[in-house]
Parts: sequence; C-alpha cells; structure tokens
Amino acid sequence: MAVDISISVQAEGFDPGAEYNCLRSENYSDGATAMFVGNVRDFSPEEHGDEHRPVAVLELEHYPGMAEAALTDIARQAAERWPLGRVRLIHRYGPLSAGEEIVFVGATSAHRQASLDACTFMMDFLKSRAPFWKKEFAGKESSGRWVQARDADESALDKW
Amino acid sequence: MIKVLFFAGLREQLECDGIEVEAGQIATVTELRGSLQAKGETWSSALSHESLQVAVNQQLANMQAGVKDGDEVAFFPPVTGG
Repeated sequence: MAVDISISVQAEGFDPGAEYNCLRSENYSDGATAMFVGNVRDFSPEEHGDEHRPVAVLELEHYPGMAEAALTDIARQAAERWPLGRVRLIHRYGPLSAGEEIVFVGATSAHRQASLDACTFMMDFLKSRAPFWKKEFAGKESSGRWVQARDADESALDKW
Repeated sequence: MIKVLFFAGLREQLECDGIEVEAGQIATVTELRGSLQAKGETWSSALSHESLQVAVNQQLANMQAGVKDGDEVAFFPPVTGG
C-alpha cells in the first residue's frame, strides 16, 4: 500500500496534538507512531569560543518551491527505506519567538523501530538538505546574526 | 535568460535577491558564477566562498552542473533548517 505523505511549509503555527490525531485517525494497522518537534531556543549555544547569547526571535528564510520539493523528496526516501504507513512533515518560516514550534516530523509504522529510525533519518536530511536558513535576534532592536551550519549535521548523514 | 536567485547571508551581502542573466555562452554553474563575479568586488568575494551551495531548477547541484536558457539557478550558504 502506498505511504500517505503530507508536507507543509507554512508561516503559521501548528498543533502537535492535532498532528498526532491526523496520523492516528482511522489508522488500525500501524502500532507505532514516532514524532519529533523542534522549538526555538532562547539562547545560541557556545561555539568557537563565543559565549551563550540570548535569542528572542529566530527568523527563518526559505526557498519557496524548493523547500516543499526537498521535504517531499526526504519523505519519499524514508518511505522507500522503511515500511511506513503515514508521514507528516511541517516546516515553518518567518519570525518565530523563543519557545515556538519550528518543525514537525511524524511517521507511523507497524513496529516501533521503523518509525523511530524514519524520524531520525528525515530530521538528519532536513538539517543538511532542505533550503531553510536561520537568523537569530537577541531583541527587537538588535541586528541579526545568521546561524552557521554545523559539520556535525553534515556528518550525521554518514550513518545512513 | 537564466533566472538567478540568492538567499540568506548571500542575498544580504549582494543586496540582491535575484537577477536575470543572458544565457549566451554559459553552459555550467561555474561559468555562470564567473560571469556574476565579473560584476565587481562585492560579487566576486561573496560568490567565492568555498561553502557556497547551488541548486539548479530547485534541485541541489554542484558547480560542474549544466545550465541552459530558461533554468532557475539559486546560490546560497549552507542550509540551517530543522
């Protein structure tokens, strides 16, 4: 049976509980549901000797069209590797305040390992292959600072 | 024409989010990049970053990828979504 894949790239927020309900609605064949939600942190981690910096707002830029295509491709790759029932990917763009949801990844499968692995796989690829860029702002008046890509995110793909 | 787009820090450096380039003799991403770098010092240095990424018709590509009239080519820094 074809995997049910749903992708959204949107400015508005989402309700993880409602997304869970969609993954489960009339779904009697999948005994496992794995989900990951990424949220905006209120600090930027130390790196290259810099100290923690406060973050009030994260501005997410995206490449319209390619963002949707990249997420669809990542979901399809996961669906080819694991026996999944449903896949749901949401990625937001625009200004997001600390604590807000940025990204949702969900997968259902008959047994737990496939759904857990598929979620990790999709997050790993999303981090290094989907055209989104983060800019951190410490406050309303501050000039922003682009988040730098981490080598660890690129090397995370090696395990797949 | 080739539609060229710039994103994130690169867009800010160039103060430009997109430009149309006459395809002419341009056959690869490298040649397209070279013709943009000829626009001046800002363009030359901004597009010389080793980590510069490129997508051709909304698919990740490399600098050797072919380009032709009507294509959409995007240059951007490494992505940081998720």
